[in-house]
Amino acid sequence: MASNPMQQFTVHKIGPEIKIAGIDLSFTNASLFMVISASVILLFLFLGSKEKKIIPNKIQLIAEMFYTFVAKMISDTAGSKAKPYFPFIFSLFMFVLFCNMVGMLPYSFTVTSHIIVTLIMALFIFIAVTIIGFLKHGFKYLSIFVPSGVPAVLLPLITVIEIISYLSRPVSLSVRLFANMMAGHTMLKVFGGFVVSLGVLGGWLPLSFSVALTGLEILVAFLQAYVFAILTCIYLNDALNLHH
Amino acid sequence: MTIPEDFKTRLKIAKSKIKKEVQDLDEKKGSFMGNAFKLGTELVAAVAVGTIIGFILDSWFDTKPWLIIIFFFLGAAAGILNVIRAAKRMQKED
Repeated sequence: MASNPMQQFTVHKIGPEIKIAGIDLSFTNASLFMVISASVILLFLFLGSKEKKIIPNKIQLIAEMFYTFVAKMISDTAGSKAKPYFPFIFSLFMFVLFCNMVGMLPYSFTVTSHIIVTLIMALFIFIAVTIIGFLKHGFKYLSIFVPSGVPAVLLPLITVIEIISYLSRPVSLSVRLFANMMAGHTMLKVFGGFVVSLGVLGGWLPLSFSVALTGLEILVAFLQAYVFAILTCIYLNDALNLHH
Repeated sequence: MTIPEDFKTRLKIAKSKIKKEVQDLDEKKGSFMGNAFKLGTELVAAVAVGTIIGFILDSWFDTKPWLIIIFFFLGAAAGILNVIRAAKRMQKED
């Protein structure tokens, strides 16, 4: 068995190597688990919306719960103006959630434990929100860098601080998700290693820790998907409603 | 004929409602750790971004190491600002 707790994060190719214009586009285990997560979401929502009963069965109930959960989150944080962005935020939430949850299965790979995946998602959100802000408000959007009621002497300093704060959004968004997922999975692996090395006599304590940590990790998986989606809503709110 | 069936489904819905409320409570407890994580990354990210901006500007203007020092502190200020904002948002949620 692998004793290195970081080995679970290695990306390796599946199938032939594909190179287009010097860029390696081979199908890897990361791509495989993204496809698996996406297909599980599609299957789940297809089954959930197949029979449109007034009294829902279990799977329809869960699907409707997800829908109302995200819809309520958007209307609470970003208001009614954010309604058109529901499909995007719903897919984002479901994708992050299912990537995290599929990663909790033994022998699987956690896509969101790689900074490149989360950073690309965060950068996409960041750029999209900035474009939406400029489209909605024109150059008045730049006024989010100039808070009202600041003395003129401090204004240049505050503006620079505000710009750094704005630019740090994608970094904090992506690092949070990546660090949570990677730390949790490493911890699980380390405790699993303790069970093996302590054997039948002493292995019970780390084993019980492992069980408790698995529960905690499932909570973290849900929570991080929720935080990722709600912060997207908050950033969207800043772009849609200036001076909120 | 339909009454017991109807009662069963109503019972099911009521039971799932109670279950959900209990779950909500559990989630709230767990979210304290999430909040702590949120504030930590918020602070660190701004400092990192500020330092990187300082580093880039330094190599542009050839003023090593002054801008990196200045932007490190500006980044720290931005990080504290972010933390205060996040904390305010949390208070509003409760």
